[in-house]
Amino acid sequence: MASSLNVSGAVSTVSEDRSEPIVRIRGFRMDFDGHAVLRDLSFDVERGETFGFLGANGSGKTTTIRALLGIYQPTAGELLVNGRRFEPALGSNLGYLPEERGLYKKESVITVMTYFGRLKGLGKHAAASWSMEYLERVDLADRAKVRVDKLSGGEQQKVQLGVTIMGEPELLILDEPTKGFDPVNRRLLLGIIEERRHAGATVLMVTHQMDEVERLCDRVLLLKNGVAEAYGTISEVQAQYGGTTAKVAFTGDIPDSPRYRVMRRENNYAELDLDESVDEAAVLRDLVQAGVRVRSFATGRPSMDDIFVRVYGGHDEPDEV
Amino acid sequence: MARHNMGTIVSFEVKRTLSKTGFWIATLVVPVIMGAVIALIVVSNTSAAAGADQQARAQFTFTYSDASEYVIPAVAEAFGGISVTDDEKSIADVQAGSLDAHFAYPTNPAEEPTKVYAAEAGIFANGKYAAIASEVLIASAQAALDDQSLATLVRGDFQVSSTTFKEGRESAGLAEVIPPLLILLAFYASILLMGNLMATSLLEEKENRVSEMILTTMNPTTMVSGKVVSLFMVGAIQMVAISLPVLVGYLFFREELRLPYVDLASLSFEPWPMLVGALLLVGGFSLVTTTLAAASAIMPTARDAGAIAAPVSIVSFAPLWVGALVLSNPESFVVQILTYFPYTAAPTAMIRNALGTLGAMEATIVIVELFVLSSIIFRIAVRLFQYGSIEYSQKVALKAAFAKHE
Repeated sequence: MASSLNVSGAVSTVSEDRSEPIVRIRGFRMDFDGHAVLRDLSFDVERGETFGFLGANGSGKTTTIRALLGIYQPTAGELLVNGRRFEPALGSNLGYLPEERGLYKKESVITVMTYFGRLKGLGKHAAASWSMEYLERVDLADRAKVRVDKLSGGEQQKVQLGVTIMGEPELLILDEPTKGFDPVNRRLLLGIIEERRHAGATVLMVTHQMDEVERLCDRVLLLKNGVAEAYGTISEVQAQYGGTTAKVAFTGDIPDSPRYRVMRRENNYAELDLDESVDEAAVLRDLVQAGVRVRSFATGRPSMDDIFVRVYGGHDEPDEV
Repeated sequence: MARHNMGTIVSFEVKRTLSKTGFWIATLVVPVIMGAVIALIVVSNTSAAAGADQQARAQFTFTYSDASEYVIPAVAEAFGGISVTDDEKSIADVQAGSLDAHFAYPTNPAEEPTKVYAAEAGIFANGKYAAIASEVLIASAQAALDDQSLATLVRGDFQVSSTTFKEGRESAGLAEVIPPLLILLAFYASILLMGNLMATSLLEEKENRVSEMILTTMNPTTMVSGKVVSLFMVGAIQMVAISLPVLVGYLFFREELRLPYVDLASLSFEPWPMLVGALLLVGGFSLVTTTLAAASAIMPTARDAGAIAAPVSIVSFAPLWVGALVLSNPESFVVQILTYFPYTAAPTAMIRNALGTLGAMEATIVIVELFVLSSIIFRIAVRLFQYGSIEYSQKVALKAAFAKHE
């Protein structure tokens, strides 16, 4: 099959300023029952980039997306898609994969996909042929006429992703897109997302998989306590969070030290967070002098996984509404 | 785009509703039961008619004594009767089985019972003895009258033709009442058959967790409009599916079913009552549909939504509970309340419209009320769907759905 699915349908009907960010959020506040889930959130998503919207469970990611898409009414702030409040009737070319997955379960796969394709502005035959092409790609062509509820959870997710990317949307909002996928299908899915990105689509992605973030995202935002804890390119965020990480294979006990903080310790492996001013050689010397047998010592930037653990400290935030 | 999407929604909803087995079971259960009853009636009537013929042909001998002297011997003889004076002997003969029956006419048959003694012929066939005893007496009384027309009048076998006038013109009477009443029938049938469908109309998106995808693909107003229009269409299809067997039954089995003959050509479709009836039907259906759609947007499950659908349906039947009052005293306080209370307004006004007791001003007020309320509740349903359809596991808090934000 072709490397990309090329049936474009829905056409934006409102003129857009292409130099403006595709998503702009300013001073967003969201209260539930008097409790502020989001306080003063501001960020942009630029056209053509893949943006990682990160945070612990309950930090307000899904709430932000729902408010951006008009599903929730924001308590305060401005949330714009293509320079205006999101309004599906205006023809915004959007593909949204919500966290809460679902399809019309008693209808056949092809019926559901064609229906959503029609709603996105595709012709009946275009929607059906695009759907078949997609189903072939994800190995579900023989399940096209099967009722959705007869598919496995992973198969249903594939169908839902197909519905999301149908019509070549210019903005893809994916809320935990690989949740529930096995490694093989996860790789297939990430390939499709990457393909859409190369085709020029903007991707706003919520995920807890930091390897996905490092692989796909140009910029990220880490949400904590209702505000942006970190915001920028991966390198900028890595620089913001402690600069250098030392990965040490060793035998013995790593002593406490003001020069570093132990980020992770598993059997004979540890990751140490070094302060910007600390000399890496001095740390190694301290370890050796403390009787630790160091088998390998390598320094580098902290991974996004490290940063995530550091920011959230392994604790979820209060439940998101 | 919105219009295109609405067409897509209507097509999708109607097709999938019609493809559900449950829908056809619910729709056809009424005509199928009616068909089964019709078949039973036809079979029963056919065998009853055959039995009656057989009974008529089955002659039996009887004796009679006549203290009244009203019975004319020639008439009785024509029925197979023999005059006797000794009742005791004839009764003994009947008991012994040598005589089929004996009738003892009293001195004054108008005040005293005629006694019939007869051999047991079965629970249904026993009636023939009393029938012949009566027939002998009636035929004798008629024969006693010289004037045959007088005899016909005595039997009550004559016609009365009524002409009534309404607003200075000749009224069509019952023929004018039937067509608007059929609209009421359509209203009740739609409520009964579609109540559940209405109450779950917006629930499916919630139960299937597709609300978010829907809300980001189309305007919620388009979605709810599409649902309501598809309900109208499904309702119309349901009416046809139900009416067809009834029509077939009337056209082809009217005699067997002993249905009263209705001269369809004589039915009078008066423009004003029909227009008012049609507007009441659309307005009433819209109000119930939008109300139940709004309820389905609030409730997390079909069961919860059903709890709202039932009272709405029951209340709409209130005018029938006080039917006598609606017919006899439309100006009474109770009927006035029912005429203007939103959920009883349509059927009450329909009945009064058919009977000609609904004034033009009242009709206008009720129709406007129904359409305005439907429109308001439609907006509420849209709002509830927009801000409540992602409350997947609990009832939507109305306060939250209608909260004003910046």
